[in-house]
Amino acid sequence: MNTSVQKRLLGTTTVVLVLFLALIGWVFDRSYRNSVIAGAEEQLRLVIYSLMGAVVEVDARLTVSQGLSEPRLAQPESGLYAKIASDLGENLWLSGSADTSAVEFLEEQLQPGAFVFREIRGQVPRFQLSYMVIWEDAEPEQVVFSAVTDQLPFRRAINQFRRSLGLGLGGATLVFIIAQLLALRWGLWPLRQMAQEVSELEAGRREALSQAYPRELQGLAENLDRFVAHEQRSRTRYRNALDDLAHSLKTPLAVVRNSLLEDRPDKLLLTEQLERMENSVMHQLSRASAQGPVVVARAVDIAQLTRRLVRALQTAYVERGADVELKCAEAATARGDEGDFMEILGNLLENAFKYCDSKVRISVKTVDDESGGVEVVVEDDGPGIPPVLREEVLRRGRRLDEIEDGQGIGLAVVADLIKLYGGDLEIGSSALGGASIAVKLR
Amino acid sequence: MRILIVEDESTLREQLEKHLERAGYAVDSAADGEEGLYFGREHQYDAAIVDLGLPKIDGIEVIGRLRAEERGFPIIVLTARGHWQDKVQGLEAGADDYLAKPFQMEELLARLNALIRRSAGFASPVLNQGELRLDTAKKELRVGGGAVELTAYEYKVLEYLMLNPDRVVSKAELTDHLYDQDFDRDSNVIEVFVGRLRKKIHPVDLIRTVRGQGYRFLTEPAA
Repeated sequence: MNTSVQKRLLGTTTVVLVLFLALIGWVFDRSYRNSVIAGAEEQLRLVIYSLMGAVVEVDARLTVSQGLSEPRLAQPESGLYAKIASDLGENLWLSGSADTSAVEFLEEQLQPGAFVFREIRGQVPRFQLSYMVIWEDAEPEQVVFSAVTDQLPFRRAINQFRRSLGLGLGGATLVFIIAQLLALRWGLWPLRQMAQEVSELEAGRREALSQAYPRELQGLAENLDRFVAHEQRSRTRYRNALDDLAHSLKTPLAVVRNSLLEDRPDKLLLTEQLERMENSVMHQLSRASAQGPVVVARAVDIAQLTRRLVRALQTAYVERGADVELKCAEAATARGDEGDFMEILGNLLENAFKYCDSKVRISVKTVDDESGGVEVVVEDDGPGIPPVLREEVLRRGRRLDEIEDGQGIGLAVVADLIKLYGGDLEIGSSALGGASIAVKLR
Repeated sequence: MRILIVEDESTLREQLEKHLERAGYAVDSAADGEEGLYFGREHQYDAAIVDLGLPKIDGIEVIGRLRAEERGFPIIVLTARGHWQDKVQGLEAGADDYLAKPFQMEELLARLNALIRRSAGFASPVLNQGELRLDTAKKELRVGGGAVELTAYEYKVLEYLMLNPDRVVSKAELTDHLYDQDFDRDSNVIEVFVGRLRKKIHPVDLIRTVRGQGYRFLTEPAA
C-alpha cells in the first residue's frame, strides 16, 4: 500500500460522508413524500365531507344540490373529480369535472364508515378516496362517495423538494470535502515537513531536524535526531577503534619485517609467515572498517571524488607519465559513505596508474535506468587482468588473504565493498589493450 | 643526501635510521610533529619520510606548514591506517608519494631514491655524464665502462654534485647534505673527499673548484 495518508483519510471520510448524506436524503425524501400524500388524502376527505353536506334526497334517490363549495368539481378536467354510487355500482351522481374526461373510479370492497385511500396507476396517475355510508331513507341504503384527484400537482411538489434537497446536500458534501482537504493538509503538514528535513539531512544540507513539531511528532523527531547522532557517533567510534587497531598492529609488523633484513637461516620462512599476517591484518581491517550503506546515507559527489584521487595519483605516479583521459559527468552522485567510495575508486585508479603502460582512461557517468546511480569505468593499456584472477576476485566466499597478486588484492577489496553496497563490478578488457573495470554504484 | 625521518614509534624510527644510513644517507630523525617541523625548517634536506599519525602536530599539518614555508624537498608519507582518505590528504597537503605500513624497506629505499632524482630533474636512476655512469639504485660508478670502487662518502659527494650540475655547490651545502646534525662538521674533510674522487674518476675531469665558493660539476668536459 503506497497510497498517501491524506488519500486514505480523505477517501474514507468521503465515502462515509456520501453514505450518510444519501441516507439523510432518502429519509427526508420519504417523509416529505408521505406528508404530501397525506395532504392529498386530507384534501379528498374534505371534498367527500362537502359532498355529503350538499346531498339532497329527491324521491328517495340521492343527488347533489347546486352550489358546491369546491368549484373545481364543476370545472371540466380540473383534476378533481367526485362520484356518488350505490354499493351495487349504480352511479347516482358524477361531478361536472368528470363529464368530458374518462375518469376511472376504482370499485372497492368497502365497510360502511371506513375511508379507503388508493393510488391509481393508470395513464394519468391519481389518488382516490372512497367512503361508504348507510343513508337512511335512501334507496338503496348503502351509498359510496368517491373523490379522485390528479397526482401531478403533488408529484411536482415532491420533485421540487427533491431538487432542492439534492442541491443542498450536494453543496454540503462539496463544502465538507474541501474543508476536510484543507484540514488534512494543515494536519499533515508537519509530516511533510519532517520528510523534507530528512531528505535535507541525507543531502548533507542539515545536521538535525528542527524542533518546531506538534506534540504528537515531537517525540519522533527527537528520537530520529538521537538515532542519527548515535549512529554517527558509533560509526566514528568504531572507525577510530579500527584505526587504533591498525596502527597498533601495522607498526610492529613493519618493525618485524625490517628486522628480518638481517641475514638469518629462517629468514625465508619468517618472511613468508609475516606476509600472510600482513595480508590478513590488512584485509580483515579494511573489510571491517568498510561502513556499507548507512541509515541516513548522504549523496557523495563521485565525479569530484574521482578528480581528487586522479590529481593525487598523478602526483604519486608522476614518474610513469601516464596520459590520463578523464570524462566526468557533473552531478554524478551515489549514496553511501565517502570513505568507502574513496577506497573503491582509490584501489581501482591506483591499479590503473600502477599497471598501465602509458594510458589511463576514466569515465564517470550517471546511470539513466530506474535504479539510477553512477557508473565508473577505469581502463588502462597495461597487461590486463588474467581470466583466472578475474574469477578468483569475483568468486563468492574466497578469502582476501588467499589472493597473492598485487592487483588482485586491491580488486578484491573493491569487490567486497561493491557487494556490501549492492553494486555491480565487471572486469573485462579495454580497447586500450589492458584492463577495463566497470563499477556501478547506486 | 640528507633525509629527515618523522616517526613516533621508536623501534621503527631506529630501524629506518639504520637502513637509511646503511644505504648511504645522512639521517636526522624526529619523534613528533613539532620536532619534525623544527628540523624541516632549520635544515636543508634532500627528502623526508613523514608518518601521518604523529603526536603534537599531525603529519598532514607538518607537510602543509613546510610547503607553506616553501620547503620543496620531496616527502614520502607513511600511513598505518592505509585509508585512501589519508593518502589523498597527504598528497594534497604537498607530499609526493605514500607508503602504507607495513612496508618493505627495499621499496621505501627505491621510492626515496626515485623521488630525490626526480626532484633534481633526472628521470632515470642512472646518471650519465660523459664517461661517468653513476647507478643510484645500485650505488655503482663506472668510468669509461670499468667499475670504480668508492667509499660511502666519496659516493655521496659525487651523487650530490651530479644531481646538481652546472651550479656552484658550497662546502657548507655539501656538509649539510652529507652529514646529519650530530656530525662534527669539518669542511676540510670535503676537500679530501673531492681530491680522492678526482683521482678515482681520472681522466674524466668534471669537478671544478670555484675559488672561495665551492665546487661546480660540469656537464660538458672542460676544454
